[in-house]
Amino acid sequence: MGSTRNNLIVLGLVVVLLGVAAYLIFLRQPVTESTQLGLDLQGGVSAQLRGSQTGGGDVSREEMEQASDLIRQRIDRLGVAEPDVRVQGEDQIVVQIPGVENPREIIDIIGRTAQLGFYQVLAVEGSPNTPAEEVQSVEDELEEDLKDDQEFEPGETKVLFEESPALQGGGTDVFGYVVRQQPDLTGEALQQNGANVAFDPNNKRTVSLQLTTEGGDQMAELTQEMLNEATVSGEPAQLAIALDQDIQSAPQLNEVLADQISISNDGLPEGLPEDEARQLETVLNTGALPVNMEIISQTTVGPTLGLSSLRSGLLAALIGFALVLVLLVVIYRALGLVAALALLIYAFLMWGIIVAVPVTMTLPGIAGIVLSIGVAADANVVIFERIKEEVRRGRTSRAAIQAGYDRGFRAIVDGNITTLITAFILFALSTGSVRGFAVLLVIGVVLSMFTAVVVTRALLGLLSGRGVQLSPGMMGVSKGDISAERTAG
Amino acid sequence: MFPSVDFVGKWRRWFAISGVLLALGLLAIAIGRLDLGIDFQGGAQFTATGADRQLGENEVTDVLPPGIAEESVVTTLGNNGYEVRTPVLSGAESQEVEDALSEALGAEVSATTVSPAFGEQIRNQALQAVIAALLIIVAFISIRFEFSFAIASMAALVHDVLLTVGFYAIFGREVSLVTVVAVLTVLGYSLYDTIIIFDRIRENAPTVGYNRRRFDEMVNASIRQVVRRSIYTSIFTLIPVTALLIFGESTLSDFAFALLVGILAGAYSSIFIAPQVLSLYKAWRAGSVQRSPRSA
Repeated sequence: MGSTRNNLIVLGLVVVLLGVAAYLIFLRQPVTESTQLGLDLQGGVSAQLRGSQTGGGDVSREEMEQASDLIRQRIDRLGVAEPDVRVQGEDQIVVQIPGVENPREIIDIIGRTAQLGFYQVLAVEGSPNTPAEEVQSVEDELEEDLKDDQEFEPGETKVLFEESPALQGGGTDVFGYVVRQQPDLTGEALQQNGANVAFDPNNKRTVSLQLTTEGGDQMAELTQEMLNEATVSGEPAQLAIALDQDIQSAPQLNEVLADQISISNDGLPEGLPEDEARQLETVLNTGALPVNMEIISQTTVGPTLGLSSLRSGLLAALIGFALVLVLLVVIYRALGLVAALALLIYAFLMWGIIVAVPVTMTLPGIAGIVLSIGVAADANVVIFERIKEEVRRGRTSRAAIQAGYDRGFRAIVDGNITTLITAFILFALSTGSVRGFAVLLVIGVVLSMFTAVVVTRALLGLLSGRGVQLSPGMMGVSKGDISAERTAG
Repeated sequence: MFPSVDFVGKWRRWFAISGVLLALGLLAIAIGRLDLGIDFQGGAQFTATGADRQLGENEVTDVLPPGIAEESVVTTLGNNGYEVRTPVLSGAESQEVEDALSEALGAEVSATTVSPAFGEQIRNQALQAVIAALLIIVAFISIRFEFSFAIASMAALVHDVLLTVGFYAIFGREVSLVTVVAVLTVLGYSLYDTIIIFDRIRENAPTVGYNRRRFDEMVNASIRQVVRRSIYTSIFTLIPVTALLIFGESTLSDFAFALLVGILAGAYSSIFIAPQVLSLYKAWRAGSVQRSPRSA
């Protein structure tokens, strides 16, 4: 059973650990802030994005890292607290943002490739005042019509759309434009941080684009050419400014443009809506993502849903925990009391580790902890049943306890290793909240082996060292059982 | 405990009991009762909480945008909550649904959308995880015990997983990513009882040669020695899991349901499936060795 000195060392260590845990949980910061809560418990937005190349080739690790940096910058510019942006696997990015008020805006902004393009408009057709539910079918019709236009050449040109709220009469003004397949001028022409929200002379909101010197020259060249063509054909020259595949603005040209361009919306009294202008400014200034991003899953959790999940989870965990403690004492009496004490130590140290690492608590995480309480109790059950068995065979309680720990330990280690194996597989193959579960399960299983085996053994050893002899009755073995097994065995 | 029960000899009886349950589960799967959630198929799920107005499920369907309403499933959660599941939606459509729900119910709306491509990825990863777990566990038991023990625990594990999935189909519960996590956890955990019995068999195994009658008796004795322990460990784990099932909401109760079924199946298979398969495999091996002595 080890010497008294060893037992005291173990228990001293436990006291120190409990002290450290208490400091981390209660003293380092207010206790309500000590535990990091996951999005499912405090509310927030999470999204998973998949990157792809336009041509269909593989995306590289560097491109994904770069894209995740850009996404983080974009979210930072919105002034949102503590976004967590991580590359996962080969071609995915996970974005998690706790407690946001405007999830829609964030979702809109993170996945945009934000490739800026300037196109010469080759042909145009529009449908004003379209009711919202007909926009899609109207665009399909416009596309059909434009593909019959003489300017449209399959492979060389494409059709892009602009949707803007109608100035008069409600609905949406939808325009389709035939433009060249590749932009005549790309976002590379834009100066660093060259996009700014501004107001035009009529006090309408616009986004002004400051081009580089070289970009300005190219723009002048392009617009000059367009104006020349317009004089020949007699049709007005129109420049389309597109972000990815959506036309933002398509002003008619009256003069040669240089290094100052603006994206405007004349349809609305205030110009560009404030949100939209801010988003444009943000994505243009952070630059285009090196790869195309598609949102493959997204979750928003409201704060009240999170809170009610947290409450019900904690309630369930506490009730389960209390019942396990009671049952341990009922079945194993004195031994059970020692195990219950060890289980309380386990729970407190577990909380300390969660705060120290820190592990983010999620709903599956709570389930993991609850399960680990059961596993921790199991280790004691295995040992105590073995002890009772030895007592029934007629051994003294001291010798029985010795045998119980020696023989029970091997089975406990083997049994727990299989749980660890599955926890590692879960960690390797999963994301987000499931990972939290796997981490907690691993910590819980390892810690439970310490408290349920080492700590209870030291406590029992100290008790018997002090001359406290546990009678079979105190371990939950009746006298009848002892003789019965003896004659049978 | 149970001195009169012949655990090994009556293997046909034990296999029949779980065979019937397995057949019921597989039948339920075959008639399409298995409800794969949006995690695997793609789609959107909206959860409205703290609703000011109480509406019937049909009334909630009526407030959804036309075109989406027909394909949506509305369920009530507790007193003032609703859950709406729809097929895959575009960003704008999902915004419309959110707005419609929060306006009609005066509720906070949380949303999850999953693209079909992501669903497929989840499905593949889940399958990979289960297979990887099975293989690694078999390897571990082969090393720690011997191959025949690994075969027996593998049979018990497959039994546990099939039974859990079958019960999901019988009860028509939605299978989500969390379910898969729970099933994997059960894989690891339900082995606990099996290993405790195998550990005792290993301890009691005679060093002299194999004899079927002697081996089976020894297995029976080993089971009797530890069966109380197996039952208690299962009870001690089932208590907190049951609390989770009763008091936990949505995700937690899903998780707890899978664990509950899995742990019960695991407890049964550790006593009534794994040792029997071990005994049968040993007997079959011994038989085939006798028939062709050279292969030994």
